[in-house]
Amino acid sequence: MKFKIAVIGILGAFLSLCQSLWVSAAEKPLLLKNGHIITVSGGTIDGGDILIQGTKIAQVGQGLPAPAGAETIDLAGRWVMPGIIDSHSHIALEGDVNEMGDIITAEVDCKDVINPRDINIFYALTGGVTSIHTMHGSANPIGGRGIALKMRWGKSAADLIFEGAPLTSKWALGENPKNSNDIGMGPARYPKTRMGVEQSIRDQFERAKDYIKKWADYEKKAKAAKESKGKIAPPLPPKKDYRLEGVADILNGKLWVRCHAYQSEEMLSILRLCREYGVKLVCFEHGLEGYRITNELVKYGVAVSTFADFWAYKWEAYNTIPHAAALCANRGVLVALNSDDAERMRHLFNDAAKTVRFGGVSEEEAIRMLTINPAKILGVDSRVGTIEAGKDADLAVFNRHPLDPFTVCEMTMVDGTVYFDRARYLADMKKAEEEEKAKKTPEKKSGGED
Amino acid sequence: MPRRKRYRLFLFSLAIIFLSCFSLFSEQNLHRVWAVKDARIVTLSGPAIEKGNLIIRDGLIEAVGANVPLPKDAETIDGAKLIVYPGLMDALGQSLLKFPEEKLDMARIRAGDFTDKDRGITPGLAAYDFVNLGKAAFEKYHKLGFVAGHVMPDRGVFTGRSSLFSFSDPDKNKALVLKDICLGIGFSPSNFLVYPNSLMGVHAYLKQAFSDAVYFDQARSRWLKDPKGQVRPGYNPNLEILADFATARKPVIFLCRNQNDIRRALGLAAEYKLVYFIADLGGEAFEVIPELKKSGARVLATVTFKAPGSSLYAQRGRAEREKAEKEVYPKNSARLAEAGIPFAFSSLGTDDPKAFAEGIQKAIEAGLPRDKAIEALSKTPAAFFGLERALGTIEPGKIASAVLAEGELLAKDTKVRYAFVDGTRFEFKEAKPGEGEKPTVNVTGKWEMAVEGQMAMNLTIEFAQEEAALSGKLLTPFGAFDFTGGTVSGKDISFEISISVGGQDLDLFFSATVEAERMRGSVVQGGAGSAEFTAKRIPG
Repeated sequence: MKFKIAVIGILGAFLSLCQSLWVSAAEKPLLLKNGHIITVSGGTIDGGDILIQGTKIAQVGQGLPAPAGAETIDLAGRWVMPGIIDSHSHIALEGDVNEMGDIITAEVDCKDVINPRDINIFYALTGGVTSIHTMHGSANPIGGRGIALKMRWGKSAADLIFEGAPLTSKWALGENPKNSNDIGMGPARYPKTRMGVEQSIRDQFERAKDYIKKWADYEKKAKAAKESKGKIAPPLPPKKDYRLEGVADILNGKLWVRCHAYQSEEMLSILRLCREYGVKLVCFEHGLEGYRITNELVKYGVAVSTFADFWAYKWEAYNTIPHAAALCANRGVLVALNSDDAERMRHLFNDAAKTVRFGGVSEEEAIRMLTINPAKILGVDSRVGTIEAGKDADLAVFNRHPLDPFTVCEMTMVDGTVYFDRARYLADMKKAEEEEKAKKTPEKKSGGED
Repeated sequence: MPRRKRYRLFLFSLAIIFLSCFSLFSEQNLHRVWAVKDARIVTLSGPAIEKGNLIIRDGLIEAVGANVPLPKDAETIDGAKLIVYPGLMDALGQSLLKFPEEKLDMARIRAGDFTDKDRGITPGLAAYDFVNLGKAAFEKYHKLGFVAGHVMPDRGVFTGRSSLFSFSDPDKNKALVLKDICLGIGFSPSNFLVYPNSLMGVHAYLKQAFSDAVYFDQARSRWLKDPKGQVRPGYNPNLEILADFATARKPVIFLCRNQNDIRRALGLAAEYKLVYFIADLGGEAFEVIPELKKSGARVLATVTFKAPGSSLYAQRGRAEREKAEKEVYPKNSARLAEAGIPFAFSSLGTDDPKAFAEGIQKAIEAGLPRDKAIEALSKTPAAFFGLERALGTIEPGKIASAVLAEGELLAKDTKVRYAFVDGTRFEFKEAKPGEGEKPTVNVTGKWEMAVEGQMAMNLTIEFAQEEAALSGKLLTPFGAFDFTGGTVSGKDISFEISISVGGQDLDLFFSATVEAERMRGSVVQGGAGSAEFTAKRIPG
């Protein structure tokens, strides 16, 4: 216990240093030299350089000259990959990630509860993660809106938001929204079946259609009243309903749907519903049985954001295999590997390696599952996900190939700014430890209790 | 009238006067004219008067100044050794409220038959209806210089409406200064499976509620103006109350547990154009100074100096948290003052006036100039609540609300000798050190605690008692939590434990009576109500 407290204390003292030390202004050009550059878009460049200007990658290649005034970091044979994008996360949110009080909660928004001081943002950086998609939980058929964040540790909530990334709507099918696993403390909540879950979504679509129509009618009447120059009294507008506005935003394509689902049958069923209403269903979350319906997923362009080897934690999560991600990828489904967890988030590169080991995907494909694929799912692939000139300088540097089981993330940068540097981390830890020791010594001398 | 009868009437009147003298506080005087002579007077309406007189007549300040003549009918107080200040005001508190105890009907909860109260939607709850004023409470306040308090229920989402009382008369109708001033808004989700039960749900709910209230207000006034040709809008008692606040006719108070809540509050206030105060319960206003400044926010600052669970300090472990609570959080109000952000002090989070005063002293020690502290307890809160012509400074025509202290107010050893509250004089003889009774029990050791009711569980608690001071450690299934600052008075113990679970803060207030090797008492958790508990000493 004492040891634990000491460690926490030291970590705390150290963390207080890191914001001031590491966040360097990206004003000077920065040249990363002599590394293995996993570009994702154009193979791996051995002995490669990356020139960063401002927040962007300016040039990638071999033997790049350092511009005047540039700062240079010698990678000395280290591996650089695009910053990892965790497309399914719940970190950096304050309070409960589920609004359980109602069936449909399309009005709630993760953006309102971003906690920029969540220490998990820092931990994400230690695992090479530069962007995340943080989202509502899976208690509701239609839950709240999610949001993409960049791991700009130390910045405000507003500054964490991945500017320009499409907003998302979290849906959920199966056991969670039908409350299968509740402990019977509260009242039974509709829906209690998978049929009911789907119907509750359909009901909302119909209500939202009415709502859209009501407003359109009102606009028409208001316009007529205005044009009548006082002859027709202006109509009373319909009552604003934020929940239905949220659902309307799904129907009109403003929100990209991210649907938590395990079983292939209900995935197919919800695919049909989305087609019927023209809803932009982007991705199945977990989608453990997605490997059974790859043709349909490819046909409708729906991605899967999944785990490498995590299943059987409940009945609906039994029917999968460690080859699932690979099977989907091999059949052309866009696959991302996600964490859904603040701990797993720190070693997603290990998870990617598992798809090579178990599923036999290529190393390139495995890296894509952490980079450009989630970038596409999030609609930010023009900004991140590959190492190319013009893209954001979001990079993760490893001491070995990222898929090597012994690899360690050594440096992480977002927008060309180094937010995590393991060497400095360790040096600062040591310094903090010594300072702590120095503080304690005089107490002992004074004959205090041990 | 025959002479005999007249004589009897005279005797009867005399008796009435005699009796009424006894029924009044001993501090009160029938004579309502006082002159404080030759005192230093901190008026706050201008520079301090180094040697001046203050005349109080019939509840109001009649005159103040260096050469003000003393009226012949005045009772004179020699102020040569005294400093006169405007009476202090607690800008937001809830400790004077007393709600009837309610038992939770679990059958109802299981059936999903939730009330607005379960959801935390109680805009109808009025502080006026539940205030519990009394001489004992007044005396505690007066001795520290407090003569008025703004009181508001603080639980839930729409917590209820506030009222301002002067601490002059136990009859709330006489003590009331303003009724239903502000509406409290908390970011506290419901503890039950009912909407809204998450922070993001609360935020969304608030948006909908403001929008609905404005709509209700418009639809109703539109119909009242000319009902012909219009569908009559439905009635909703909550919306009727909310309408005043959602349309900025009255101010709301956002109860902010941390800096994120403050940002949320500023966002909501801007979006719905609310008149508002920020109650800085987490003491993190200093983290959002640019935003507060930009939005012209008015702050009600607390003096509990506890790092919220969402803060980095708390996440970095105990040592960092304690360090911040000593070095960072007490500077909050000093930094607000420096930035020129208007703020008044709130006692929320401190349940007794002594702790409130000590907190303010700490803020002064941490760099807040004393005069700014006095202002934040008088002139500023008076202006906040639209009472700048009635209270807050010592000026002719204002309510006679003043305290006379031997030394500087809010300094550690200063004694308040007189308080004028609504023109009534209260006098304090030599104050005795130490408020409570001497402890008659010693609870040092391990105890097994059984919490009863809905949250039934068994816990172990270790006490360390040194005279009247109590500290210790509570062992729970989610970790061990230390506490200090508890007290023992006679056979009664009370202490407060702050626990942080998954980034959420819970403040638990325990109070119990000890009998031999057993104790019985209650534990209160801010948002979730209370539970009874018993404990017995673990031998050895």
